[in-house]
Amino acid sequence: MNWILFFDAIFKLGSPPHMKKILIIEDDLLISSLVQFRLKKDGYETHLVCDGNEGIKAIDELKPDLIITDVMMPFRSGIEIIHYAKQTQPDIPIIVLSSLGEEEQVVLEAFNLGVADFIPKPFNPNELAIRVKRVLK
Amino acid sequence: MKRKVRWIAIGLFSLITGLTRAQENLIPEDSIGFRDFLILQNEIPGVSYRFQIKEKLISDRLLTDSLYLFSKTDSGFLSKLFSDFGQIRQIEMSLLNDSLQYKLHYLVFSEVSSVAATREYLSNRIQSGDLLVQFEDVAPSDDLVSLASYVPYLPMQRFKLRFISDYKLFIVTGVISFFLIIATSMIVAMIFMKAKINKVEKLRKDYDRLIIDPLTSLLFEKEKEEIELMKFDDIYQYFPEEMLAKPLYKDVLIDRIIGLNKKMKGDFKEKLKAIFKKLSLDKISLISLSSSEWDKVAMGLVQINEMDLVEALPKVKVHANSSNFHIRSQAVATLLNLSEKVDLTFLRDQTFPLSLWQQMNYLRIIRFVRHQKDLKLQILFDSKNPSIRIFGYKLVSVLGRVDLIEHLAARSGEVSDEEKIEILEVYSTLGAHMEVGFINDCLKSENAELSMAAAKAAGSIGDSVSADILVGLIAVETDFRRKHGFLKSLYDLDRDRFELATSTNPETETIEIRKHILDPMLQHV
Amino acid sequence: MYSFLFFLILEILGLIFLILSFSVILIYLILMILSALEMRDYLRKNRFADYGDIITSPIAPGVSILAPAYNEGQNIVQNAQSLLSLHYGKFEVILINDGSKDDTLEKLIHFFELEKTNYAYNPEIETKPVRGVYRSKNMSFRRLTVIDKENGGKADALNTGINIAELEILACIDVDCILSSDSISRMVRPFMEETNRKVIAVGGVIGIANNCDVQDGTVTTYRIPESLLGRFQVIEYFRAFLMGRMAWSRINGLMLISGAFGFFRKDLVRKVGGYFPKTVGEDMELIVRMRRYMEEQKIPHKVGFVPDPLCWTEVPESEEILSKQRNRWMRGTIETLQLHQVLRLNPKYGILGMISYPFWSIFEKSAPILESVGVLYTLVLLVTGDFSAVYFFALLVMMYLLSLLVSSFSVLYEQIAFNNYKDKKDLRKLIWMIIIEPFVIHPKIVLWGLQGHFDFIKGKGGWGSMIRTGFKKAEDKKNLTPQSTS
Repeated sequence: MNWILFFDAIFKLGSPPHMKKILIIEDDLLISSLVQFRLKKDGYETHLVCDGNEGIKAIDELKPDLIITDVMMPFRSGIEIIHYAKQTQPDIPIIVLSSLGEEEQVVLEAFNLGVADFIPKPFNPNELAIRVKRVLK
Repeated sequence: MKRKVRWIAIGLFSLITGLTRAQENLIPEDSIGFRDFLILQNEIPGVSYRFQIKEKLISDRLLTDSLYLFSKTDSGFLSKLFSDFGQIRQIEMSLLNDSLQYKLHYLVFSEVSSVAATREYLSNRIQSGDLLVQFEDVAPSDDLVSLASYVPYLPMQRFKLRFISDYKLFIVTGVISFFLIIATSMIVAMIFMKAKINKVEKLRKDYDRLIIDPLTSLLFEKEKEEIELMKFDDIYQYFPEEMLAKPLYKDVLIDRIIGLNKKMKGDFKEKLKAIFKKLSLDKISLISLSSSEWDKVAMGLVQINEMDLVEALPKVKVHANSSNFHIRSQAVATLLNLSEKVDLTFLRDQTFPLSLWQQMNYLRIIRFVRHQKDLKLQILFDSKNPSIRIFGYKLVSVLGRVDLIEHLAARSGEVSDEEKIEILEVYSTLGAHMEVGFINDCLKSENAELSMAAAKAAGSIGDSVSADILVGLIAVETDFRRKHGFLKSLYDLDRDRFELATSTNPETETIEIRKHILDPMLQHV
Repeated sequence: MYSFLFFLILEILGLIFLILSFSVILIYLILMILSALEMRDYLRKNRFADYGDIITSPIAPGVSILAPAYNEGQNIVQNAQSLLSLHYGKFEVILINDGSKDDTLEKLIHFFELEKTNYAYNPEIETKPVRGVYRSKNMSFRRLTVIDKENGGKADALNTGINIAELEILACIDVDCILSSDSISRMVRPFMEETNRKVIAVGGVIGIANNCDVQDGTVTTYRIPESLLGRFQVIEYFRAFLMGRMAWSRINGLMLISGAFGFFRKDLVRKVGGYFPKTVGEDMELIVRMRRYMEEQKIPHKVGFVPDPLCWTEVPESEEILSKQRNRWMRGTIETLQLHQVLRLNPKYGILGMISYPFWSIFEKSAPILESVGVLYTLVLLVTGDFSAVYFFALLVMMYLLSLLVSSFSVLYEQIAFNNYKDKKDLRKLIWMIIIEPFVIHPKIVLWGLQGHFDFIKGKGGWGSMIRTGFKKAEDKKNLTPQSTS
């Protein structure tokens, strides 16, 4: 994992400055690759990680412009990631993508922590792309 | 410690008795056998033998032979006493050569004894442990008869012991072999299963990776109509033909499409359904409906439900009253979800008690479809199955169907207490003030649970009559928990009456409950 | 004459041991098959379970978590926090401070901003006096209730909690257990699936947390403990939970669910009078009494079991503590069986009386005695040079093989069902443990069991006589006043 991030860092030097980096933290690989596919089409640089631990590592090393995260994940919950991101880099906007309902305690907590948007599953990748654009504006 | 000593003592005892029991039988009873036995022993203290010649005359050579030292008696010649039995044959030899008539006498302590008497003496000596018996295997000679006389009773006796031991041996070997066979087959089966599971897992992971890319690009590149018009050759560009021939690949594909469908919205859902049908995966779902394994049937039902395979509904209906909990649940869920106009009669006619788990699942679907379809919930009230009726009442309150209250009111009089409790809950959640008469009736019920439920309802929608009844109940109630409940209801219903009933009451119990109810910390639970 | 009698006794003893060994083998093979079937069904069933729904559904039952604490000051705040953060819709956490001598209560009051309330405590089940019931004004802690009471032991503390609990299901847990966040919804499921048979209680698996990494209430990396005793317990827990309880739940014969993680229907627990504080085996005794009550009322019922790894605890790795624990378990078993001896081979009590009870009294209660007598018997035969000694020696070897089989089977089980211990080195160590366990650890366990028997006999008198005669009916417990004879 660290090697990938290392190469990412090298590539970053060469990549055009306007390309926004989006970190996707989601344990379902199919969902995340769908999201990645859609966002690449809009010209974003995307990075996938599958669990909370890697997510926290990637936030530190990647310094993304936007984080899209699930709530229920192995090892560390999305809430912990949001906590962490808001503590270390409070300026990164966060979009929560979750199958939990909006009235759920955990989701309310996420809102309290200042996430930019909440997209409940089932979701539409196109809708997600629009919301990403709005948040990054 | 004491115990140990006892065990050792018992052990030693058994050692001795065990030996003697066996050796007493070692002395043959017939005279030839007995003689041979004695020969083997050589010298035996206290036992000796002599020869008697019954002839009137014997040769001088014999008479003067220092080996025998014959002396003449009335009944013939008697030899001296010999004590070494090992020499019998040798001594006998010259008597035999002279073809004389002679007899062998045994003497115990110089007294002539019969064979039987000598034998008895010997066995006593052996039993008392004074004498250690010697014997050796007699090499078989060519004479079968003499061979038989060499080994007379002894094997018979041993065989009897052996038989019991063999009986055990038989059981033990049986148990051991049975055990070993079962154990090895079980371990082999488990290892085999584990290997198979590992293999399938690995394949699944591989296929999973193979599926992600084509599925993603197909979803983004093509519109729904385009997918529906795709030729097989176009499809094979995404999903290779040889892969599609593999059942496990298809299985993973189904899992993935179903899983994704749950998490997608809008046109993506439609596209997934189109892909599902295009790949003829719906056929697999239909086939699994008639499987004999319940989990396959249930899985097929889930797929039909997720993929909106409306054409399969008649087949689904067959399973609605299945005796298998999971098939039943999935079939009902599918019917609720897919039926054009939800006719709840199939739910009404269910004969199995409805579990909370099923209620929860059906409720979720009903909540979802009620906006599109007209639900005639009152059908459920006519069910013969009490759990279905109660579910019907619950639905009224969860879905907020105030319009059905009159249906409930019409039947509330004659239903069972359990159902009355449920109806009371509906009334209190929906705020059905007009039904306060029913609540007051229930308050007076003998059934403790029913009156408690009525008190709860009265707390929110009761009237002054309810307050009167509550005050009456509180005065006579002895059970702490119920008294607490009634007082709480009275407090919710009418603070003044509550004050009146408690502030002057001297009972410590009432004072404590009053404090509890008035404590703001205990209000929200 | 004497020798004949002696041989007769030897023969009879021999026959008894033969029959016993045969039935042990048969029973364990049956248990293995039953548990395999149950496990297969459970794994299949799990594919259709959507636990997400339970958390929000209005139909899901409410759960009162009861956690007694005695001198837990060091970790109590952290433990309480993790209990409060469980994922479930309707639940409350009731911590019972059982007269701790340390600062358990002070720490709770301080951290959760607790205040003493005017709670009107009603000892429906008689307990030691309650000093106070505390709650917090802070809405984030609205689920928490703390009871401060005089010391009376675990059962008494739980009874206090049962008196106060508001919701339908009771979850009795050890406060230092690590619970996975979805544990409540998974444990509640068997209650919700109830159709024809009343589900009276549900038991769960206890995992061993020693030497594992724990994060967010879930064990993230499994490692087997360093000590032999710890490793032995890993295998033992596999055997007990994955094999034993799985098999018993298949035939609905469960008599014990772990006291560290058990769910009960509240109305029923109250009806039978709660835990019986005078036995050291209160968890087993309660289940037996509840089942007995249901049988006496002729209500079809079952005790459920959830094999998912949901709860972890640190097990004692020191010989001293472990020996005390085993001694207590043995005494608890003896006491429970004594209290409910009416069940013994009584067809009126169905599987409970005809299968579970005899099994427990022969294979759990008397096992240490039978085993040591059997080994002694074989030794005597060897010393006397009796011919059959060879067979009994063979039987001993076979018992050893059986233990190998059962243990390796349960390890395989774990590998197939959950595959938590992934490190190959760990697996090798476990297998080594399986091989040496019967020589190194098992004799100790037998010895501790014998000590339990001895202590039980020594402790007779007072309540002992009560235990000797047993309960006439399941509800008898209610008519006892715990203070009267203690």
